Amino acid sequence: MAKPQPFNDVGLLVLISLAGGPKHGHSMLLDIDGFARVRLGPGTLYGAISRLEEQGEIEPIEQDGRRRPYRLTERGRRHLGIRLGSLDRTVRAGLTRTAP
Amino acid sequence: MIRLLLRLYPYKWRARYGGELIELIEQVGLGPRTVVDVVRAAARERRSSIGTLLAGGTSMRFGPAWRHPTGWAVAGAAVMAPTAAFVIGSLLAYQFGVGGVVVVMDSTTAWLEAQPRVVDLLLVLAPALALIIAAAPLLRIELRRANGGREAIIGLRLKLLNVAVGAGALAVGLLLLWHIVAEAVLSVGA
Repeated sequence: MAKPQPFNDVGLLVLISLAGGPKHGHSMLLDIDGFARVRLGPGTLYGAISRLEEQGEIEPIEQDGRRRPYRLTERGRRHLGIRLGSLDRTVRAGLTRTAP
Repeated sequence: MIRLLLRLYPYKWRARYGGELIELIEQVGLGPRTVVDVVRAAARERRSSIGTLLAGGTSMRFGPAWRHPTGWAVAGAAVMAPTAAFVIGSLLAYQFGVGGVVVVMDSTTAWLEAQPRVVDLLLVLAPALALIIAAAPLLRIELRRANGGREAIIGLRLKLLNVAVGAGALAVGLLLLWHIVAEAVLSVGA
């Protein structure tokens, strides 16, 4: 049987991680590995961070030494709620239909 | 090695996120998996920035030249210098008959004739190359959406040293061309 593919919507993973509070890059990597079992690389993470910042869904806060933490914006929180709602409905439908 | 990897990203992206990415790579360690990840991510950013350019509304310029116009003007002058010296020497010697210069130019021409043809070719191409190097920092191309299509607007900025080197390269190139044509006509006539 094929190994299940890890969840690969990196933008959504970053939004979920920041929904738990502001974090810098390394904290996000550890957090995402912890809740989703997905080990992102630094390039992939920063690709998602730059896109989410451009879309106004996350924003940097004051620098902590050489590290720069990010937080969710109101727009990002709203977008995350909509996407999680949609995912939740999809997962429920899938579980209902595959239940024995 | 990390800074080399960072060079793969577009300049604008690097200027904004480069420091943070370096910090993160130092924390996770630079293994083969990280290298592959960063190279793939940089390729995505490159594709994305090219896509933005082609979609219009963005201006294009050659970043290193735009940031260091004086350095590029000096480089252009250095590339052009041997050809300029040859052309000016030839003019002084053979057009105006300046005695001391004739001796120098005769020995220079004899030396050049003993060199491989590629040296001649480099001397001839140098003014064109110098013109490109000196003018590169002055040029900006803007792509815009207009009337259902796209239009390109070419903008020029004024940097006196670059303009002077570019004009000098053009003058040296034209003089050289005139010299080559005149020699060819004379040799046909003979």
